Parts: sequence; C-alpha cells; structure tokens
Amino acid sequence: MDLNFTADELAFRAEVRQWVAENLPADLSHKVFNSLRLSRDDMQRWAKILGKKGWLGYGWPKQFGGPGWNAIQKHLFEEECALAGAPRIIPFGPVMVAPVIMAFGNAEQHQRFLPGIASGEVWWSQGYSEPGSGSDLASLKCRAERVATSSGDTFVVNGQKTWTTLGQYGEWIFCLVRTSNEGKPQTGISFLLIDMKSPGITVRPIITLDGEHEVNEVWFDNVVVPAENLIGEENKGWTYAKHLLAHERTNIADVNRAKRELERVKRLAQQEGVYDDGRFRDQIALLEVDVVALEMMVLRVLSAEKSGKQSLDVAGLLKIRGSEIQQRYAELMMLAAGPLAQPFVHEAMEAGWQGDFAGAATVAPLAGTFFNMRKTTIYGGSNEVQRNIVAQTVLGA
Amino acid sequence: MDFEFTDDQVSLRDAVAKWVEKGFDFPRRHALAKAGGHSRAVYTELAELGLTGLAIPEAQGGMGFGAVEAMVVMEELGRGLVNAPYAAAALVVPALLSAAPAAVQSQWLPKIADGSALVVPALQERAARYALNHVTTSAVSGVAGWLLSGQKSVVPGADEADAFIVPARISGGANDSAGIGLFLVAKGAAGSSVTGYPTQDGGRAGELKLANASATLITEDGFALLEQAVDVGIAAVCAEGVGLMDKMVAITVEYMNTRKQFGTNIANFQALRHRIADVKMQQELGRSMSFYASLKLGEPGPQRRRALSQAKVQLGQSMRFVGQQCTQLHGGIGVTDEYVSSHYFKRLTMLEMAFGDTLHHLGEVSARMQDTAGVFA
Repeated sequence: MDLNFTADELAFRAEVRQWVAENLPADLSHKVFNSLRLSRDDMQRWAKILGKKGWLGYGWPKQFGGPGWNAIQKHLFEEECALAGAPRIIPFGPVMVAPVIMAFGNAEQHQRFLPGIASGEVWWSQGYSEPGSGSDLASLKCRAERVATSSGDTFVVNGQKTWTTLGQYGEWIFCLVRTSNEGKPQTGISFLLIDMKSPGITVRPIITLDGEHEVNEVWFDNVVVPAENLIGEENKGWTYAKHLLAHERTNIADVNRAKRELERVKRLAQQEGVYDDGRFRDQIALLEVDVVALEMMVLRVLSAEKSGKQSLDVAGLLKIRGSEIQQRYAELMMLAAGPLAQPFVHEAMEAGWQGDFAGAATVAPLAGTFFNMRKTTIYGGSNEVQRNIVAQTVLGA
Repeated sequence: MDFEFTDDQVSLRDAVAKWVEKGFDFPRRHALAKAGGHSRAVYTELAELGLTGLAIPEAQGGMGFGAVEAMVVMEELGRGLVNAPYAAAALVVPALLSAAPAAVQSQWLPKIADGSALVVPALQERAARYALNHVTTSAVSGVAGWLLSGQKSVVPGADEADAFIVPARISGGANDSAGIGLFLVAKGAAGSSVTGYPTQDGGRAGELKLANASATLITEDGFALLEQAVDVGIAAVCAEGVGLMDKMVAITVEYMNTRKQFGTNIANFQALRHRIADVKMQQELGRSMSFYASLKLGEPGPQRRRALSQAKVQLGQSMRFVGQQCTQLHGGIGVTDEYVSSHYFKRLTMLEMAFGDTLHHLGEVSARMQDTAGVFA
C-alpha cells in the first residue's frame, strides 16, 4: 500500500500540467472557473486543441491513435485539465461512442468515424432516452425498419429521442433503436449511427429550469439510414450500450472537478463574508471530508484497475456520491451568495457582463448553476436506479 | 499509488482471522462481556500470536511493523469483535514510549512485546472531553522523584494493567499545550488506586486515582508525542470500525435473505434494498478513509492531524449510520442482547467517542482548512 504516485506518474503529471498551462486559452478557463456560459465555439476550440495533440481521445488505445494511457494516467490527465479550468470534454464522441465503434464496429467504420472524433471536428450526440423510456431504457420504441433498396439495405427510423444534451450542435448521433419486438425488450435493440443532416430529423430545444438551452428533443420522421451505419449485429445494441457504461467508471464521479469547485466554494465564502462563520464553515468542512473520501474511493478503483488483481464493484457508489457532491457544492455556493443569489438575469452567465446590481459579476450565476446541477442525480442512471444496482450486488439477488 | 496488500500482510490478516475463528466465537465473547469484560486472557492469546509486538522495534523484541500491518490486524479484531485493549496497549503505548529514556524503553518494551506486561494509556480527564491539551493532573519533581496527583477516567483495561502512561502538567495553565509531561505509573505505585468497571461494548475500563503517586518520567515535553500517539489510536479505531462494519453488514445481508414477511424474503422490499445500498456507501467511504488514515500517519504534524480528523469525521458518520441502520434492518431481534448484531452496534457506537467524536473532528477539519483540498492537498 502506497498513497504516493510513482516518479513516472509524477513526471507524466508534470508534462500534462505544463502542456495544459501552455495551451489552454485563458478566456476559456475564466469561464469555467466562474461557471459562465460556454458557446459551441468555446467547447470545440478546446476539443480541437486536444485533438491536435492527440489527447481528445485520451482513453483510447494506441492502435486507434490514442495515447494508450493506463487508468492512473487517464485520471491524472483529467485532474490536470479540471484543476486548470479546462472545459469538460464533451463525452459523446471520444468517451462514449468511440469505444463502442472500436470494440464492435468494422474496419471501415473505424476509418470512417474515428478520425473525426479524435480531431474534435465532428460533434456527436447521444440518442438513448425517450419520452416513455427513462430509467426503463430497454422499453424504448424509436423504430428502425430494415428496407432493401437497389443501392443496398437501409434502416428507416421513426420515433423520438429526448434529453439530447447539446443536440442543437450535433452533426452525428448514436442511437439505440428498436429493430425487433421479439423476446425480451433488451434483445430487440440495435446501435445505429445517424447523420443529423438526414432529411426527416428535427431538433427542438428543451429549456431547463435555469433558463438555459442545453437539452433537446430529436424527432425522426422516416429518416433513411444506410445499413452500413449499424454497429455490430442487429439486435445486439443493448450489449454494446452496456459496454459503453463500463467505460465510464471513475470519471462519472468527477472528483477532480469537485476539488476545483470546493476551492471556489471557499473563495466565494471568503468574498461573501461567511468563511469565518462557524456554522457555514463547518458545512464546507463536511463537504471537504466528502470530497477526500470520494477521491480515496476513486483512487482505490484506479489502483485495482492498474493492478488487475481485484475488481472493485463500486461504480454505482461513485455515481451516487459524485453527483450528490456536485449538487452540494453548487448549493453551498448559492447559499454563500445568500440574498444576492436571487436575480435571474440571462446575461449574467456571459463573460465580462457587469450588471447594475449587487454581486452581478460574481454571484449572479450561482443559483443558475445550482438549478442546473439538479440533473446530476437524475441522468446517467438515476441515483435510485444506481441504488437498485448496488443493492443487487450487496444482497446477491 | 496502490492499495494492494503484500503477501505478508495477507498472511498476517489470515493468522488473526484464523485465531478469531477458532478461539473467539460469539459465545465466548458474550460470556466475557457478561462477566465484566475482563480480557487479560484474551490479550495474552493475542500476545502468543506475536501481535503485541507488532509496533515495537525488533531491537526491543517486537516485529517493527508499520501502519498498514496495524490496520490489517485492527480490521480483523473488529470483524471478530475482540474485546481486549489491543490498540491502546500495543499500538498507542509504544508510540508514547518512543521518546522515553533508553532505560525505560528496555525495561518495558520487551515485556509489552511478549505480552507479559499490559501497559495502557490513561489520557482522559473529567473536563477535557476530547482536548488533548486539557491536563490538570499535576506532576511535581522532588527528592522522591516525580509525584503525580489527579484522576484519569475510562482508562482501558485499568484493573488488569501493569502500568499506565499518564500525561500530567508540569507547568502552565490547564489548557496550555506546553508543560505537559508524559509519565509511567506502575500498578500499585504508592498513592495510586484503580477502580474497574465494564463498558457498554463488552470491554473493561476504570478510574486511575493518583495522590502523590510516584511516577517515571518519559518526557517533559509530551504534547506533540501525545498528538501523534492519539493519531495512531484514531487510525486503529478507523480500521477496527471497518472490520466491525464489514461483519455487521454481512450478518444483516444474511438476515435479509432469510427473514420472511408478507410471504417473501425481506431483501425483496425496495425500501430495505435502498437502505442496504446506503449502508454499503457508508461502509466503502469508511474503508477508503481508514486507508487514508493509516497511510497519512507518517506525514508531518499539521497535515497528519488534519488527515486523521478528516478520517474520523467519515468513520464517525459511517459507523453511526451502519450500526443504526443494520440494527433497524433486523427489526426486533436487532435490539436483543442474545443476538450478535447488537454487540457490533454497541462497539460501533462507542468507537465514535474514542479519540474524538464526529463533531469534535469536524471542528478540527474546519479550523485546519486550507485553500486547497483533496487527498494530496
């Protein structure tokens, strides 16, 4: 047992730290450090900088052009990016669909899709949830019907996806679609890649309680998709989707971001004069313990992955705890602002905006962030679904 | 960075587990507790396993092992619900004696290592709560050597101990960190008396009364050492808590999978399933912070103190939640004396109050807060 990183790991971290310091644009980190609105251009600018370095697909193996880092290196990379205030990597391409394409796609699909993901050129969206299929995802109804044509087989897709994060920017979308109603619901699902410029696709915004346009409905009306866009075998999509979930084990806890935001809680508490209020300060102390405990749990998982000796079945716990902590730090920041958190002004989320009211430049975005963060215990498998999974592991049935 | 145990550490764990399995079943434990919590015989068996020498240097007859080995042993003693003052006598006391004059060390450490002497820390004063700097027991040096006067409370294994390590005030006010000396008081020293009593968790403790009792000086400037030794104790409590929680959760899971109500195992009810998931969360957070506690023991004072307080805050919460919820999940049987889980619950509950409770350590974390946070901050 050793809590210290090895000399190699420390050298790796130093290299990443220096590179990020030299390449992360200051206007982006300013927005991230203050939870200000990031435009599509902001997010893609950083993605392309990483892509050029070969680090956007930071979890990829070497054979697909990735850096081939181990679990610890990936964690250190995420940590350095988070602490430096880099925008989060939009996960849908490099983190979510790419591993599925690598594992289950054919050589032609590798060549066709992976380079655009690795470079950050192509914006991917995720088409999983449907209005009637949230936690019970396997009940999804969006239908893809195989139709033979003179130029080869196609799928004709009809139905609706929802909660599509940043789908307004999407160029491609990976979807779980129903290709069969035979047998169990899970066995009739396929994994399909769809060009969002295809005729028949409509993207409609959903405005969330913070007034922001982050998620969308995506409608499919007789959308024709070439059969060559099917990943793997028809009706095996559920298996592939589960593979994807296995790829987001530790980063779902987002502990590095939590460390950065905890520092911000302290700065805001100082600025707003509650850092020396024992009752408020103890709440920060409690959150600090929570963050350290979560980080230790993440490090245990990484160590187990690195050694390959044992597997720690705590992914569900990481999701539950990580999301609770995200909500808690957002809440404490809002409470630090106190009465000044109340103005609801859309422009307050823009960098450089100076409104004509108290706290406009620094504390006005805090309530919006708090409201936005309510999603974290709902998405990615609600925390109640996660508890079902944890209970199944603990009880063995 | 890795959290794997070495083969030697695994063997050590197995050896303790095997002894528990063969020699320390619940009926024996229960009988000992009912008979007043006397445990010198149990302590001697731990000594025969070599465990009492774990933290003592090889030159003094011990094994010279480190914090991780101590953690492994404490986890297993927790799992086995072993009621002997092992952590106090074999882990905390050697830390307190590490600054003693060579003659004192060679007089006592080999006997502690082989189990022939049970030496316990006598730290608690009536008004101190968890403040280590609150020491009113006085130490006066004269022609007859050092003489101590005062009273120490809830001293582990007091009426079975051969000697006590006692913080006493040489100079300064009741709450000054400076002027606190550490002393060794042998059993039966003139002017000393001991009253023993059983404790809630099936162990034994007592009051040590000192009226010009003769004592041997360990160090005149003992506060930093006292803090360090208490941190060793905190790490031990954390690890014991992990073992206790592991076993209590296992017992509870088994119960949920066999107890039937409404025609089905109670494990099938979602309200209870979510409860056991929350229990698992606290158990794993606790284990994570127990590792952290032991691995941070070698850090410089301020970082070490902060880390150990952070760990105790987590373990305090975890032990309380797991103990209370597993009791609840058992229904009525969980609150009977005859059933094993209530004894785990009682030990978990008492451990929160060992070396500082959750609120105390939360205050410490709050007071020691830095701009940055995290495992490596």
